[in-house]
Amino acid sequence: MAAIELKLDHVSKSFAKKESKSVINVLQDINASFHENEFISIVGTSGCGKSTLLRLVAGFINPTEGKIIMNGEEVTKTEPNRGMVFQKPTLFPWLTVGQNIAFSLKAQGIYKENAERVDEMLELIGLADFKDEFPARLSGGMAQRVALARTIINQPDVLLLDEPLSALDAFTRMNMQDEVLAIWKLRKQLVLMVTHDVDEAIYMGTKVVVMDKNPGRISKIIPIELDYPRDRTSKQFVDYRIEILNTLHFGNK
Amino acid sequence: MENEEILENNELTLDELQAKEMKEKTKFQKILDHVTCFLPIIVGFIAILEYKLVPNVPEFYNPKPNTYITFLLILMGIFFSLYVVSLFLKRKSFFNTVLHKAPLTAAVFAFLILYDCLTLKSNYLLYPFFPWFNDILNAMIGDAAFLLECSLNTLKLLFYGYFSGVLVGLITGIICGYSKKAEYWVDPLIKILGPIPTATWIPLIMVIASTLFKGCVFIVALGVWFAVTTATMTGIKSIDKAYFEAAQNMGCDSKQLIFKIAIPAAVPNIFQGMTQGMSSACVALMVAEMIGVESGLGWYIVWAKAWANYSKMYASIIIICIIFTVVTQTLAFIRRRVLRWQEGLVR
Repeated sequence: MAAIELKLDHVSKSFAKKESKSVINVLQDINASFHENEFISIVGTSGCGKSTLLRLVAGFINPTEGKIIMNGEEVTKTEPNRGMVFQKPTLFPWLTVGQNIAFSLKAQGIYKENAERVDEMLELIGLADFKDEFPARLSGGMAQRVALARTIINQPDVLLLDEPLSALDAFTRMNMQDEVLAIWKLRKQLVLMVTHDVDEAIYMGTKVVVMDKNPGRISKIIPIELDYPRDRTSKQFVDYRIEILNTLHFGNK
Repeated sequence: MENEEILENNELTLDELQAKEMKEKTKFQKILDHVTCFLPIIVGFIAILEYKLVPNVPEFYNPKPNTYITFLLILMGIFFSLYVVSLFLKRKSFFNTVLHKAPLTAAVFAFLILYDCLTLKSNYLLYPFFPWFNDILNAMIGDAAFLLECSLNTLKLLFYGYFSGVLVGLITGIICGYSKKAEYWVDPLIKILGPIPTATWIPLIMVIASTLFKGCVFIVALGVWFAVTTATMTGIKSIDKAYFEAAQNMGCDSKQLIFKIAIPAAVPNIFQGMTQGMSSACVALMVAEMIGVESGLGWYIVWAKAWANYSKMYASIIIICIIFTVVTQTLAFIRRRVLRWQEGLVR
């Protein structure tokens, strides 16, 4: 994997509130730098701007102040190289599973020379038999796997995951956590994942970014020094958990 | 990872499953099913006997009396062959369909008996306003060439009007659904013109249009345009924004967003508009033919009525009914095929 550098340089984002004609500062002065081979979990209470941060990196919105720099170039628009998976699968219901996965290749006009990648993706997510089914027939977990495949088929340098597992039931979710980790280990790209679940953040991340609100800011970046696969019941795991919960003001201290 | 792949690994077909879950029918019920299937044939024979044996009103002149009998025999023959085919097919569902339709078919024959009694046998429904069925059939056959020509004219008008309406409607609908500016100018037009039935314009159009044919096409297209535009507009405006974001993220430019996301996502609405447009087109077409155009089945009705030839009038009405049913059903069939992806999504 070639070197990847994602730099957030004094990034602030404000939104206009139409009803009260006021401005809210969702993010204020975010500085951070992430690299390849990192799995960054972002946790924080709702309203701390963690999804906004992801959308800024994706290029859906631009920062009010500051710059987001990816490999030396400023981020101004969306690009398949910064692929995003959303909370809802948002598969296109009028396309089959195979067509959904092939969608971005076709949109970029590089489908013909890469057609075999679609089958590779289907194998990877274990849904080869469902290639010609429509998304309406998939379960939540299957749909989210297709959404993941649809994004990583572009082999993005940065994979942005916006609470991708939060709509799944607990057991499917734990399985999917391992699958996402396996996918990450294949290419060792940079992953930024927003989550509400502290457990998930520690289980998956090489670093956990804890955010606070009013205004949204990074309050702590905690490197998780545990080997994969991680044991959710180990002492160190629980210690990390306590540390993060304390930072989020949910602890006993 | 394999905990949820339960969707379909069993080898049962739907038919077999239904057969398994249903209670075994008793012998009596099975016999009853076959008797039910024979019901239309029995009632059909009664209809023939009634027609042959009950004396006509003496003054009535009924030439070529066997057309009606042939007609009845053909209907019975069709039903009987369907029944025979269903016995040999392995799939039970076809037999069930035949069984399901049998009482209705019998009722059609019963209605024909009743109608024959009220007209040819008693003149209870007065001649010539209510000609007996044999008379209508003979009128249809006697004037077949002309009726065919009229039908083709009607179909041509419908085809041109409908498809030009759909085409223009799609374009305006997509543009207005997409651009706020276009909607600003077109929406009031739709709000004002929309509630006016298109037939209202016929007298004016017939004067303005260079040919009656073009005028009629315009009238038909207008209603279709309105229905398709509104439906497409609503369809595009109600698309989940998340689809656009996902597509953008996967490298779609703004042109691709329209053709790969907006239009396919609006297809259910577009079809709804096309179905609604079809019924409005049929109405407009008939009115236009009756008032202005000097061809087509609508015109034929007025013309036959002017000559007090009510048998021909009914013949034309029956053909109109057949044509419009076929056209509407075809559209519904296409709609089901195209919207296959909606299965399990709605309903």
